[in-house]
Amino acid sequence: MNPARIAGLVDDRPAEGVFRVHADAFRSQDVFDLEMRTIFEAGWCFAGLECQVPKAHDFFTTRIGRQPVVVQRGADGRVRAFLNACRHKGAMVCHVQAGNARTHSCAYHGWAYDSTGANVGIKLRRQGAYTPAFDAESHDLRPARCESYRGFLFVSLNHDVPPLVEHLGGMAVFLDLVADQSPEGMELLPGPVTYTFNANWKFQVENTGDVYHFTSTHPSYIDVLAGRKAQGAEAPTTYSRFREQALVRGSFCFAQGHSAMWGSNPTPEARPLFLSLDEVEARVGEMRARWMLAVRNVTIFPNVQFAENASLQMRVIRPLGPGRTEMTGYCLAAKGEPREARLRRIRQYEEFFNPSGLATPDDTTAYEDCQAGMQAGQVDWHQGYMRGMAVVRQGADDYARELGVAPQTSAHGGFEMGDETIFHGPWRHWREVLMRAAAP
Amino acid sequence: MTALAEASAVLFAEAAALDERRWADWLALFTEDAVYHVPAWRDETTPTSDPEAEISLIYCASRAGLEERVQRITGGRSVASLPPPRTAHAVSNIVVAEDGAGLLVRSVWTSHVYNVKRREQHVFFSRVTHRLVRRESGWRIAHRHALLLNDCLPTLLDVYSL
Ligand code: FES
Ligand SMILES: [Fe+2]
Repeated sequence: MNPARIAGLVDDRPAEGVFRVHADAFRSQDVFDLEMRTIFEAGWCFAGLECQVPKAHDFFTTRIGRQPVVVQRGADGRVRAFLNACRHKGAMVCHVQAGNARTHSCAYHGWAYDSTGANVGIKLRRQGAYTPAFDAESHDLRPARCESYRGFLFVSLNHDVPPLVEHLGGMAVFLDLVADQSPEGMELLPGPVTYTFNANWKFQVENTGDVYHFTSTHPSYIDVLAGRKAQGAEAPTTYSRFREQALVRGSFCFAQGHSAMWGSNPTPEARPLFLSLDEVEARVGEMRARWMLAVRNVTIFPNVQFAENASLQMRVIRPLGPGRTEMTGYCLAAKGEPREARLRRIRQYEEFFNPSGLATPDDTTAYEDCQAGMQAGQVDWHQGYMRGMAVVRQGADDYARELGVAPQTSAHGGFEMGDETIFHGPWRHWREVLMRAAAP
Repeated sequence: MTALAEASAVLFAEAAALDERRWADWLALFTEDAVYHVPAWRDETTPTSDPEAEISLIYCASRAGLEERVQRITGGRSVASLPPPRTAHAVSNIVVAEDGAGLLVRSVWTSHVYNVKRREQHVFFSRVTHRLVRRESGWRIAHRHALLLNDCLPTLLDVYSL
């Protein structure tokens, strides 16, 4: 592809106060193919959590970009990743979402692999009249890079990527704010929920940091919360008082396309974490505890988001095509939290985050309406990137300094500013990666 | 009337109320403390079972939760709920057990949902258990448990899909 085509999809002129994105970035098959080849299949992607593979030989299967992958803990305790494709004819060797297996034997011609992906058997090899050339080849499942940051497992199909901590940069602090919510660590509650939508995956990336949409996309959810409050419900929910006070909302863009939206919390007492606040404060300090209770919606580019506005959701994005995406949501919970906190967490999670809940269907439907609307050729350049441009600054603001992170840009203002500069970092990174790959 | 005929009448009335979007009639079939539960799946073969420790697709601890959903579906302020989908619910394989508390009814539901805006249709199929209790006005649903079998959801799921 011609790099000029990629360059021409993001109109980024900060000096003139302009930032626009072209609809082809969301709807073109050639752009999508390049994204898969580069961002997803040659960079770091989130794969899962170490707590999904606690014991030797535990594994789970996933996809990195379009490619099937097994993530497995070996007998040596190390977690590895390898492609879930038999070296004989490419059949998937592992057919279940998760399990424990010392060996994976291919159901087609019976080749066998151990829990590190090494080939441990080629059926009837001696009788196979193979040539020395065959013997000279590796028959192991193709390994991928796999690194963990505090139990968050990332995989890269490209062995020449920088170390994970370098890739994460300041985002590591936002993973700390999740990982440190309990002295015993975090756990995944049973019941991951998978859904699909007919829209580009980057709508999901953007929406998670999009403060501006909340009041217009979710009035039916706001009505429900207001109704509960009117009926004297004792359990407050995160958004039930968001109009009553001046709320700060801010955003950070980090290198590598990561971004974080944060904001002061109008009803911290609604959060499951609030019930353990004394313990948390004593352990991590007042400042970090406050940031844990704040609203935080972060995207570790390109495929994992942690949304903590009601309870905490970990969501994994799997693009299927330029106009089709699969999402899986997981409820992450503080191990050992009080029963009341756990109940609150589960109900808040279901009603806000589930595709069968009271909020997410309206977001997802809006992405689909965007994808359909993008067939309108005369509105190729989207204007949804310029709120907050008059206040965004290079580097850290006071809030970033307090948290101890060094973003590329920071912006903050009131809830109603509805900052859109949070999208700039991901797009700049996107353009850079794709242009590099498109260069002849 | 036999227990089977009485139970069938309640289930058919529920299906018809959903299909005809007679929401007040649908709500009136439930007791005030009715539990409405649609579990998620732990893995390929096991659904979640404990709504206080595991995630459900929908869990309403009382009818008030269903009333909120109806308000959202009918209020005109949810883009996901508009225009109203057309649905046809088919209820079959009804088996009834009678006990001291009332009727325990097992059935299979096939719900066809047509999204008019997108011109797309989806089928949801579930194994449903109703706990029916006798009230002065007739049988009421005290517990509805729908085990949705095709749980990779196309965009969204709501009570009219079940
Ligand atoms: S494809 Fe696996 S053994 Fe033939
Ligand atoms: Fe939203």
